[in-house]
Amino acid sequence: MKKNIELLGVASLFVLAAVLPSAAQEGLEQARQNIETYSGIPEFTAPGEPFDAKACMAGKKIFTIPASSSIPFVKTISEHKGELAAELGFEHMEWENQGNPTQWIQGIEHATNNGFDLVSLLAGADPRFFEPQVAQAQAAGVKVVTSHLTGLEQEPPAGVDAATAIDYRKAGELMADWTIAQTEGKTNALVLVSNEALSTDSIVSGLTEAFETRCPDCEYEIVNVPITDWATRIQPTVAGALQANADLNYVIPIYDSMSSFVTPAIAIAGRGESVKVATFNGTPFVLDLIRAGDVEMDIGENLDWIAHAMLDAEMRLLCDLEPIRDSKVPLRIFSAANIEEVGNPADAALGYGDAYVEGFRKLWMVSE
Amino acid sequence: MREKSIGYQFERFGLVLVWVAVIAIFALMRPDTFLTWSNFSSIFGSEAVLVIVTLGLIIPLTAGDFDLSIAQTLTFVSMLTAILSARVGLPIEAIVPIALLAGAAIGVVNGSITLFFRVHSLIVTLGVGTFLHGITLWMSDSQTISGVERTLMNWVIIHRMFGIPISFYYAIALALIIWYALAYTTFGQQLLFTGRGREVGRLTGVAVGRVRMTAFIASGVMGAIAGILYTGTTGSANPNSGTSLLLPAFAAAFLGATCIKPGRFNAWGSVVAVYFLVTGINGLSVLGFRTYVHDLFYGGALVLAVMVSQLVSGRKERTL
Repeated sequence: MKKNIELLGVASLFVLAAVLPSAAQEGLEQARQNIETYSGIPEFTAPGEPFDAKACMAGKKIFTIPASSSIPFVKTISEHKGELAAELGFEHMEWENQGNPTQWIQGIEHATNNGFDLVSLLAGADPRFFEPQVAQAQAAGVKVVTSHLTGLEQEPPAGVDAATAIDYRKAGELMADWTIAQTEGKTNALVLVSNEALSTDSIVSGLTEAFETRCPDCEYEIVNVPITDWATRIQPTVAGALQANADLNYVIPIYDSMSSFVTPAIAIAGRGESVKVATFNGTPFVLDLIRAGDVEMDIGENLDWIAHAMLDAEMRLLCDLEPIRDSKVPLRIFSAANIEEVGNPADAALGYGDAYVEGFRKLWMVSE
Repeated sequence: MREKSIGYQFERFGLVLVWVAVIAIFALMRPDTFLTWSNFSSIFGSEAVLVIVTLGLIIPLTAGDFDLSIAQTLTFVSMLTAILSARVGLPIEAIVPIALLAGAAIGVVNGSITLFFRVHSLIVTLGVGTFLHGITLWMSDSQTISGVERTLMNWVIIHRMFGIPISFYYAIALALIIWYALAYTTFGQQLLFTGRGREVGRLTGVAVGRVRMTAFIASGVMGAIAGILYTGTTGSANPNSGTSLLLPAFAAAFLGATCIKPGRFNAWGSVVAVYFLVTGINGLSVLGFRTYVHDLFYGGALVLAVMVSQLVSGRKERTL
């Protein structure tokens, strides 16, 4: 009996020894495959059924409150939405603001008092800061939606009518996948996050899940640095981590604008050869840092594509069609291998192809 | 007599002793990582910009004026440097004098409005700083500008002496100049008289207006130097980032006034204060503390140091 148990134990060890490396190998392969899939020019996927946008939007009005008109990323999306609305023949207004919640409240009240049909809280104007005003607008018959604020798995916040989401989870996964693939399963990373942003939860859950399922041996530490402290806290935090952890091989700032405070810390520590930066957003200056060799990888989204997708979802809501949760806005990985496609200096709209332009027009039945 | 007393010496070097104690505590907790030359090289090399901003602040502070625009001068000059290098393509040798002139011009504007319209410097520099921020956002289109000529980074953080990035030595050289100017020149004495009492200064023959104007210009130039180094440190210019250096710089200036020459804003005190604060933050990061603990340390250290300093000087007054 005892001998049988011993044999069973030895057999189990052999099985484990055989299975574990293959599981790790499988995870590595999966990570590599994801990176390859998202490194090419993305294809257009229709977020819903075609509809006659011009006919159903006639006489309707959309009001966009961007997170801040001084953030080019958001401002550009908002302006492109305005141009598309003009093309489709309905009224669109952008509420210029400097990112102050009291200005967002003034905006939503202006929209309610001036006959707008839908208020779009764009890319960071967070309705949790003004829930009573959202309820008032809805009571007056105005639909309120968040656009490019939440991840696919997150519920619409603060009782808004719909939330058109971005696959932030996938962005988190891809950052983890990149480091797993580059280090062949030996990632040792410092992950910098800002918990107050709604998208952070989604990005972090994708990232942690990718590490747990595809690379259980990978090590990572998550550190929260509030957005207002980026300029003063990121550099010492990274410097401290580099000092405390000689095996660190990646810094993952989950929003790429953090990178300008990460790269000096790595340079001052003289660890540029061994510690790389992988990040998300596709902000032009960070894409330029890839060309300069200071950042290794950045996951980007096309701002014009986002404008098309957000407006598409908002029009569907006003046309009483099925609400859209998944905007199908694709992500693309930029690294030294494809950085030339974004222009020099980098342009936020280059490097994604133009299949979406024709794709959306067909969906809206305005194609020639 | 007083200068020779042990109490006074203790007050002068109290912060240095606390700094050494902080180093010793972190060294005991993490001897293998904290107490290494590479870590101290990182501590000294990473905060040269903050040292220079603090040194820039103490010049008008000594004359009794505040320069709240210094952080925005830094941000504006940092952006100007990045745009002239990355977008216009000017060489760094041509950009540096332009940037320094821009800093001096901002000082002239601050000084002129404060002196000719007799408005408090706090309000003037707050307004000028906000105006500068608007210009910075406008000229950068609110974007971070990268692609700065590599030469600048080489001469700020890449070239090293004894393993420490060269920017540290720039900060020390500036501290040396300011220390000499404040302690051993007529201008330094006039600045001090002006700060202690403008009427008294005027009656003793000090050209108070000229002295205050010079202090504003010096502060503007220091802000500009910090701006150039900031761009050299990050390799880019962000239209908002310099703003957050203002409060740490004021904290360091006031903390620095509690040591070396207690009761006066002084160059070496400021340097010690910055590196004391940075050592604390670095040690906490090495130990893996969360970033909110950094704020607890920053704020706590400032209030405690000023309290202790007041206690010591207050006790002295009572014993007189």
